[in-house]
Amino acid sequence: MTLFALVITPTAIQLRSVSAQQETTFTMGWAAAPMDTLSPTAITLYDGGAYLIMHALYDTLVMSDPSGNPVADLAASWTYKTPTTIDFKLVQDATWHDGQPFTSDDVAFTINMFLNNPKLAYMQTYVSTIKSVQALDKYTVEIQTKAPDATLLDYRLLGVYILPKHIWQNVANYSSYTNDNPVGTGPFKFVKWGGPNTYVQYDANTNYFLGKPNVDHFVLRYFTSYNAMALAIQSGEIDYAGPLFPPAIVPTLTSTKGIQVVTRPDQRYYYFCFNAYAQGAGNPVLRDKNVRIALSHAIDNVQLANTVWNGTATPQNTVIPVALGQWVNPNTPKYSFDLKLAAQILDTAGYKAGSDGIRVSPTGVRMTLKIEVPSNYAEEYRAAQQIASWWNQIGIDAKAQITDVGALADEVAAWKHDTFIWVWSAGASLDPDWFVSMFVSTESKPAPNPGLSDSGYNNSTFDALYQLQITQVDAAARRSTLYKMQDILHQDAVYVPIYDPGAAQAIRSDRWTGIPEGTIPPESQGASNNLLRNIKPASAIAIGSTTMDTTTLAIVAVVVVVIVAIAAIVMTRRRKSQPTGH
Amino acid sequence: MVNLAYVARKVTGLLITVFLVLTFNFYLFRVLPGNPVTLLFRGVGLSAEQIRELTSQFGLDQPLWVQYSAYIRNTLSGNLGISFQSRAPVLNLVLPSLVNTAILLSVASFLSIGAGIFIGIVSAWRRGSKIDITASATTLVLYSMPTFWLGLVLLFIGVIYLHLPVGGMMTISFVTIGALPQLADLTRHMILPLMTLVLGLTGQYVLVMKGALLDVFTEDYMVTARAKGISNSKLLWDHGFRNAVLPMMSLVALNLGLSIGGAVQTETVFSWPGMGLLIYRAILARDYPVLQGAFLVVTVAVILTNFVADMLYPLLDPRVT
Repeated sequence: MTLFALVITPTAIQLRSVSAQQETTFTMGWAAAPMDTLSPTAITLYDGGAYLIMHALYDTLVMSDPSGNPVADLAASWTYKTPTTIDFKLVQDATWHDGQPFTSDDVAFTINMFLNNPKLAYMQTYVSTIKSVQALDKYTVEIQTKAPDATLLDYRLLGVYILPKHIWQNVANYSSYTNDNPVGTGPFKFVKWGGPNTYVQYDANTNYFLGKPNVDHFVLRYFTSYNAMALAIQSGEIDYAGPLFPPAIVPTLTSTKGIQVVTRPDQRYYYFCFNAYAQGAGNPVLRDKNVRIALSHAIDNVQLANTVWNGTATPQNTVIPVALGQWVNPNTPKYSFDLKLAAQILDTAGYKAGSDGIRVSPTGVRMTLKIEVPSNYAEEYRAAQQIASWWNQIGIDAKAQITDVGALADEVAAWKHDTFIWVWSAGASLDPDWFVSMFVSTESKPAPNPGLSDSGYNNSTFDALYQLQITQVDAAARRSTLYKMQDILHQDAVYVPIYDPGAAQAIRSDRWTGIPEGTIPPESQGASNNLLRNIKPASAIAIGSTTMDTTTLAIVAVVVVVIVAIAAIVMTRRRKSQPTGH
Repeated sequence: MVNLAYVARKVTGLLITVFLVLTFNFYLFRVLPGNPVTLLFRGVGLSAEQIRELTSQFGLDQPLWVQYSAYIRNTLSGNLGISFQSRAPVLNLVLPSLVNTAILLSVASFLSIGAGIFIGIVSAWRRGSKIDITASATTLVLYSMPTFWLGLVLLFIGVIYLHLPVGGMMTISFVTIGALPQLADLTRHMILPLMTLVLGLTGQYVLVMKGALLDVFTEDYMVTARAKGISNSKLLWDHGFRNAVLPMMSLVALNLGLSIGGAVQTETVFSWPGMGLLIYRAILARDYPVLQGAFLVVTVAVILTNFVADMLYPLLDPRVT
């Protein structure tokens, strides 16, 4: 035992002191979002955390600034020659991590690789609107889209990591290529990783064309639980933690000295859905617009934001998350929270209460409604219970329940649900298109529905506006179309938008500074490498203290030795005396 | 003596069992609600073509029996398939996880079996005394605590007050370190998950050891031996323990096999990259190839350890053939 302690103590000192020599390492913890692969062609749609690995290594043509606007990355500037032809002037001083120069050939190669290999399913969504790409000269690339595409710069191109042609042209099978030694243009160079969902180590790319990073090394660590990650940042083992700390853990972090929690609206929102599909198998009363409007008056999203998220969520009124700023219609009306008004609307529409107090439709259907919550968002159960209690007060037999996420997905595909609370999240995208795409009528198909729609919404006016906004490259025109669409959705009340919970991320502010000011979360799911480029040590101090560790380890070792010794003494004493019988 | 016919019968039984389990598992995973593709699309824009493409890549659009026969064929030739999540060969995922789990659980099993035997003997020998009551009560309370909770409590104490690492297997370092410091680093990372496991596992070994020993104490030959004047320590070890160890061995064999499945809760709390964590994540994503591969390994491990126990039994107890 003592030998054991003696072995540990000096090596703990050795490990810490080596990293304390003037070299700085920024360690970021990321929870619950898998980082399965180093290869952009092998990323699957499961890899919620792969973007973090990628955007330290690679660049894209454009990226997001801290307020969600597309700005230059590998493309220094761009012009629209026609609404479907864009010329990108590339930077001329970027180099690959192996020293080769970056040119337009790399861009053309990368995009063509994705266009010509539809089996690379993950990347398809980012190149689906591109018709062709051509290198015009060494530093100019021309992209032609199939139709005018408003989502190109704030969504599609954000996800196309530019890969080195001189390496990837020799790859035989893209989808199984594991990219064990990735070479990119990004701010950090790959050193090694511990396998899927463990950690990745990087060295700074001192030749990075946007400026050398302010740290020497970067480590990305994957955690399976926010609890463990909170402890890690409290003890100083990591410097930054995200992406979305649950509201229950945030107070512990804010009350720890040296930790700052930064919460900014995230590109996602929670919503309440009514199954209004005409051929659905849920309660048919929800197909009546009056019922949906009445029930919308019986949901108070401000109260829910307080109950479930302790006031840290931002209630929202439309289907576009608060984080997407300019696309959110500030004038879309809100259904006031008014139980009396709700009851009145139901009465007028013919849904009178029966003898047991539960309302019945004019055709005799009881208003019994399920409010479901998927198992991976179990904290929303409190919101569901609150809603059920409001609805019970106006004569609805409402029951909240948590359903396994797979089972709920199956139910929705079969149109068997009544209502539920769920999330729409755009990932790295800052584009509003995703958030209105599930209302297009082609997304509602008979069971089993392979489309996005969970409300069964079918409105040809809306469909026409949707097709229009996606082509409106001019932001002002597009805004006006999107505003109209949000108003229409409000009138038809198939969703009740609830809130945007924001992303709570934590940083050791006693050691680090340089978080970019802005409106989107500092580490905004791969929309840019702003955080990695700007983070710098608060002062030139070494990471980790040495004396504490060795002392406590020595104490632990001594305690163990003492316990063993006592036990041994007790045992030998006992041996000598008589046993107390059977 | 062990005869060949006996061994041959046992091995055939083994193979049949493995085959049945493979079939059952195949069906079981596909019965889980939701399939890998439908669970994906909440966060990203999946077009209808992509859904179709993925479904066919995963082989989910083929009739069940076609998927099944492909699976059996591949498994028999050693190809465990490719993970839906990471596109890596399943064997490359399962083997390192297995090694990591084996490291943690072999030490944990060793310590908890040792502690269980020790405390069980003391409790049985001194039945009714304060030591017995305290030891039995403590181990039972720890055994019945939820592992996840116990792990988190130990994590909190360990990280905040003792500056032990928060998780993982090794400290991430940019300099190469020698073998002995690496071993020391691994030990530091193992302390908390080990404590969680050992505190939880000891209880059952204590119970079985104590019960078996008490049973043996009631036998006539124990009275005879005492009458012959045999010393206490010989009585305890040669006559008591050696007879009581048989039921203990069954439990040990069973648990060792099952522990290959990894201690899911402990591995999750401490981010220990073992089998338990691999299986947990695969279930969440309905990653059928990884689940099938991991469960195959667990099945084989359980069957093998029980087989070895079966073979060893006649050696320990000549009455068994």
